[in-house]
Amino acid sequence: MRLLKPQVSTALGWLSLVSLVVLALFGLWGAPPDEVQSDAQRLMYLHVPMAWIAYLAFGVTALASALWLWKRTRSSVWDRVAGASAEIGVLFTALTLVLGSLWGRPVWGIWWAWDARLVTTAVLFFLYLGYLALRRVPAPPETRAKRCAIAALVAFADVPIVHFSVTWWRTLHQQGTVFNAELSAHIHGVMAFTLWFGVFAFTLLFVYLLDRRYRLLALEEQREEREVDQAIAERIGTSTAPPAPPSPPTPPVEVGASG
Amino acid sequence: MRFAEYVITGWVLTGVVIFAYWFSIVQRTRRAERSLPVADQDRE
Repeated sequence: MRLLKPQVSTALGWLSLVSLVVLALFGLWGAPPDEVQSDAQRLMYLHVPMAWIAYLAFGVTALASALWLWKRTRSSVWDRVAGASAEIGVLFTALTLVLGSLWGRPVWGIWWAWDARLVTTAVLFFLYLGYLALRRVPAPPETRAKRCAIAALVAFADVPIVHFSVTWWRTLHQQGTVFNAELSAHIHGVMAFTLWFGVFAFTLLFVYLLDRRYRLLALEEQREEREVDQAIAERIGTSTAPPAPPSPPTPPVEVGASG
Repeated sequence: MRFAEYVITGWVLTGVVIFAYWFSIVQRTRRAERSLPVADQDRE
């Protein structure tokens, strides 16, 4: 019921924590302020890695869903991996949107714009929120896994639309700093190091959270199965048990008796 | 630091949200482990 050995998971948790602390030191102090955006650009070291890891999380969900749909690799493991990864992806997408809004206010002068990148990211968030809701709809495990796997593959179609939205529609959001049309990174030195370190730190955190969330899903399924088994056993027990003997008639209570 | 209110809010909010998510997973895992016999917990 685990993806990683307990020792590996613990080590990964500590490594993620240390990496995030180092990222905070570089992001808030080590890296120089941007020439144009000044210190507001320090939000990039969270916003960009978090958006990329959300893509990764939804990619893992799509891959695990495809593996579940393919009969030769079908296993409840893939269904759990898909569910766990989607939840982390939703969390990271929500943070990406909030951090983007906090970054947009000082730089653009507004909290939100009906910009292609922002709107497609919000659509992505709601698509996977719907996916998580679908996972909670009561159904036999096989039916639920199948409908969720199909939904995950359909929802993943929005990921490339989000990524290429800044190229296809020129609106407010800046074009890719690293993965742009020219494939030439517009970031260098300590700033580039901090950005890539952020990607590394959030990747570690993603793998660690995926392992923890997977185990929780497996335990909850186990508990649910056990409760159903107990309920069935109780039902069978009561239906096959001999009828209880009739209780002796109780003597009538004397009205007005003292005592 | 310029725009400190936005930058600090963003970093603190991220830390708090991630910590709250991790903590909820840990708590729910403990609760689930308590409700299952040890032999069932490592069953595939």
